[in-house]
Amino acid sequence: MGFIGANGAGKTTTIKSILNLVRMDSGEIHILGKNMTEHEIELKQEIGSAFGDINFYTRSKIKTLTNVIKRFYSTWDDQIYYKYLKKFNIIEDKKIAELSTGLKVKYSLALALSHGAKLLILDEPTSGLDPVARDNLLDTFQEIVQDGEISILFSTHITSDLEKCADYITYIHNGQIINSAEKEEFIDTYRLLNGKNEQLDLVKNNLNSYKTSSFGFTGLIHTKDFDPTLDIKASIPNLEEIMIYFSKKEELYV
Amino acid sequence: MYNLLIKELKLGVSPFFFFMPLLTGALMLIPGWLYFLVILYFCFITIPNMFGGYKTQNDLIFSSMMPVTKKDIVKARVAIIVILELLHIIIAIIYGVISLRLYPNLNYIFFGPSLGFWGLCFIMLAIFNIIFITMYYKTAYKYGAATFVAIAAAILFAGGAEWLGIKNSFVFDLFKGTGADNLAIQLSILISGIAIFAIFTIIAYHIAIKRFQKVEV
Repeated sequence: MGFIGANGAGKTTTIKSILNLVRMDSGEIHILGKNMTEHEIELKQEIGSAFGDINFYTRSKIKTLTNVIKRFYSTWDDQIYYKYLKKFNIIEDKKIAELSTGLKVKYSLALALSHGAKLLILDEPTSGLDPVARDNLLDTFQEIVQDGEISILFSTHITSDLEKCADYITYIHNGQIINSAEKEEFIDTYRLLNGKNEQLDLVKNNLNSYKTSSFGFTGLIHTKDFDPTLDIKASIPNLEEIMIYFSKKEELYV
Repeated sequence: MYNLLIKELKLGVSPFFFFMPLLTGALMLIPGWLYFLVILYFCFITIPNMFGGYKTQNDLIFSSMMPVTKKDIVKARVAIIVILELLHIIIAIIYGVISLRLYPNLNYIFFGPSLGFWGLCFIMLAIFNIIFITMYYKTAYKYGAATFVAIAAAILFAGGAEWLGIKNSFVFDLFKGTGADNLAIQLSILISGIAIFAIFTIIAYHIAIKRFQKVEV
């Protein structure tokens, strides 16, 4: 599942709450059917998580770090670990600081997969990667989820990542979840309208937000609010457009 | 808890701090010196460097992501502090014995390395721990103010004790007069010191857990 939102929307806070790293004012977290606060230790055995890249103990060798980390997990499997290191081309004698950003993410993936995590929670794994490394990482994600055993929840503000590989999308804006649905359904919920400025008044009240120019207006509308009999060109928006028009809506009211 | 302790040993604490007692302990060989300083060097040097390391290496995030409770994180941290403190005291005691052999007829102005003196050192570290550990776990990363206040309190205790040892005839007698050769008195001071150290550190540990539960990582 992809988790999108603008910077500061609350993606990382949500993920930190899931992992019980921040105190919640209200609500409950359930993972794999279990309550997080009651089964924290047990669940953390089954979750692999990574924040952006590994930024702790960066001067230590990978070998040293792994030897410390693997002790914490009862289900650690060295064979799987070495398989992934080989696959990702990670050299054990290197220090964390010497890995590229992409490799750091892959190293956390290798760690998570080696203790048999059923759920990987990744905060902005693709941020800061070049297009090639990003595409490569997304392919890896797809290989991991292919068997249906492992799920990945990852947050990002790069919408094209989600278009490439997410099955479900949750969109968060200003701490509120706007929509959470299957990708196709999510996109299908909205229509992007292109019309002449004179037509704007017909639909203005139903639009989420709009931009005007001398050529006309463009605006985002809920599919259910859209009247197809009107002579306005409607197209299916991409995720980026949905994000942009949603944040514009906010500005309108301020 | 055990795994976290291994993490402290392998990643968190530089090996230097485990060897440092060999150097600071050697200061016990300076005849008639202010021996409280030997133990205070742990507070001056090891504590701020170690906790600065935790902060820059993002140890808090690392530990929190592992499948461990917050209680265990505190327990392992307190354990490593106590291990280092004991290391400092035990090695200093060994150097102290050598020092006593080297200078048998020395007239001590400050406390000599007697068993009673080591009891006072335990009390000094007890005061240091209860202040440092509880203050530090308000945030679990800011160590400056906690170190400052804890060191100040430890110095006040050491200074006060030395002052009494010079000015107060009872205390003088206990450590430098007739009491110095009385094994029972010396031993009971040492044991009381260890008891106070244990009690204060355990209290600090419990307060730290309560405070750490409220910390947002």
